[in-house]
Amino acid sequence: MATTSDSSFITMAHGNGGRLMRELIEHVFAPALGNPDLDTNADAVRLPDLSGDGEWLITTDGFTVDPLEFPGGNIGSLAIHGTVNDLAVSGATPCYVTLNAFIEEGLALSILERLVRGIGEASRESGVRIVAGDTKVVGRGQGGGLYLATTGVGLRPHGLQLGLDRIRAGDRILVSGPVGDHGTAVLLAREQFGLSGDLQSDATSVLPIAQALIKGPGLRFMRDPTRGGIATVAHEIARTTGHTVRLQAARIPVRPPVRAVCDMLGYDPCYLACEGRIAAVVSPESATAALASLRSLGHRHAAIIGEIAAGRPGVVLETALGGERILEELEDDPLPRIC
Amino acid sequence: MSVARDQLAAIRALPLSGPVRIMNVCGGHERTISMAGLRTALPNDIRLIPGPGCPVCICPEEDIYQAIRLALDERVVLASFGDMLRVPVNVPRSAVRSLDQARAAGGEVRPIASPRDAVRIAREHPGRPVVFHAVGFETTLGPIAAMIEEGLPDNLSLLVSGRLTWPAVAMLLESEQPGFDALIAPGHVSTLMGPEEWTFVPEHHGLPTAVAGFTPESIVAATLSVLTQRLEGRAVLDNCYSAARPGGNTVARAALERCFDIVPAIWRGIGSIPGSGFALKPHLAAHDARRRFPGYADEARRNAGAMPPGCDCARVVLGKILPPECRIYGSPCTPRTPVGPCMVSDEGACRIWWSSGIRERSAERRADAPAAPA
Repeated sequence: MATTSDSSFITMAHGNGGRLMRELIEHVFAPALGNPDLDTNADAVRLPDLSGDGEWLITTDGFTVDPLEFPGGNIGSLAIHGTVNDLAVSGATPCYVTLNAFIEEGLALSILERLVRGIGEASRESGVRIVAGDTKVVGRGQGGGLYLATTGVGLRPHGLQLGLDRIRAGDRILVSGPVGDHGTAVLLAREQFGLSGDLQSDATSVLPIAQALIKGPGLRFMRDPTRGGIATVAHEIARTTGHTVRLQAARIPVRPPVRAVCDMLGYDPCYLACEGRIAAVVSPESATAALASLRSLGHRHAAIIGEIAAGRPGVVLETALGGERILEELEDDPLPRIC
Repeated sequence: MSVARDQLAAIRALPLSGPVRIMNVCGGHERTISMAGLRTALPNDIRLIPGPGCPVCICPEEDIYQAIRLALDERVVLASFGDMLRVPVNVPRSAVRSLDQARAAGGEVRPIASPRDAVRIAREHPGRPVVFHAVGFETTLGPIAAMIEEGLPDNLSLLVSGRLTWPAVAMLLESEQPGFDALIAPGHVSTLMGPEEWTFVPEHHGLPTAVAGFTPESIVAATLSVLTQRLEGRAVLDNCYSAARPGGNTVARAALERCFDIVPAIWRGIGSIPGSGFALKPHLAAHDARRRFPGYADEARRNAGAMPPGCDCARVVLGKILPPECRIYGSPCTPRTPVGPCMVSDEGACRIWWSSGIRERSAERRADAPAAPA
């Protein structure tokens, strides 16, 4: 155990500002997250250089996933990927992240160490530095083991214009890989369902995907389809543009185990969260090239799954059978606390 | 799926001379039809009508009331299928109206997915009476019979609300206006009981009939079969579900016969249907919650057994109206605030139509001309 002694579990004393808290930061957080820009003794830090060649974007997010660890990731890696991805789909290169950890009394230090290592590894892989942070301890029963809150900043090149307002009728919708992996993996990791499987969460940084899409022409808009899945992204597009989003069920990539779990529990994969995919809208003439660029990155399940059609705002799913039905907005979230 | 698309093309090419109303028996069929958008892929003249195949929807209100009363007894652990927890009963708003509310009020209510969970729960609570509200059709009662034969813990009793599907269809067919011209018979029930159970539909009533499983392919095949039969002026029982074999599952049927008597039974909002209910045999009386806890029923209660005011679930279940034609569809009845059982269960037609995106009420059609959804 890295922290000195007194307990192998988090106690209220780990949040009291004294020795145990100092040791927690020095022995658990600093080694995992350390980088030249992180000074754990400072109240505030000066960022090295915010006068880059572009505009600075800032995002913030909170993470409460249950369980804390799931196949393919944990709340720590998820927090970094989630923050990085919000910047990436906005066209920015993520640079710096701040981190708040709300730790529940009684959490095993060994688990906390694994989660914090997850933060460190995901930060390094995603190319971001953690530059400021804070820890708090909340009483037993007042938190789900660990909650994380982040803020991220990233640099977007001048002139890159992306947004819902750029979408036009006729544009195509792409997804970079199979949908619903994260939601299903978290679901399977919850013991109450009594199911098991070898499915992994897709949680990862989507920065390479976003940058490949940005390089091509005709990119209008990107979103990471997290809570509410691609159906929710489609609704956002429909609501904002006033057009109909038509999705083709047969083209939406879904892994067989995700399909099986959805069939069994009555879920629709279109509503299940991804944490490592991008849904992108591109002009009709650029769609094939955009798809090819994703496939050349190794995303062999990437697909053009639908298009924007002039008409009433709404989302229509064309079924494999050739019928169609309305894909309504998510009403009752089947899976609370997945991110 | 390409076979199904070919068969759909064949259906579209059929020279039908007017509307054909095809009733499906199972909530599972209805779910597949709605989720596959099958109605939109068929000509308007082919009308697919959801039928009586939702066990939660037709479970008597009196039985749910008894389950709630049992759950509120602090000694009792009440196990019920998850779908049942939110079905409201007819009691004043200030009273406990559902098993969900009974749980919130401190009752020990355990939602289960499989009958065997009830045995496990009973073993985990040896000192307490555990009551399993056994709601379902043949396909649920079969596994329950097998479970009974393996031996029940002494503290486990069953409040049986099991039903047979075919007597409800027979009752409709014997009525003055059955409301359908052909039948898609249930696949899973046929797997257990044998497809022959449904021969009475073509033989006694002259309606084309086909057994279908729960895939879009099987339902399209059954639809093509009954339409072709109708065009050719024939009515036979076709089987479009390979898992349903003649004779069904003889082992399971024998277990059902050893455990249950077939009795007249109430269908919620519909009334009593002869020979449609399962009741535990006398030798299982020690495990019969109706005998062990008779004081928990209260049939003299005001509105006992009635449908909630405004709720048209009974006519939905009988295929007389489509879900959005109910006066309270969408307002106030939604999956979040269900009034009637058809909006609660995953097998309920209202819930299925709602989750397939149909959110607006529509005017009631003529009884003999069901409208296809927009």
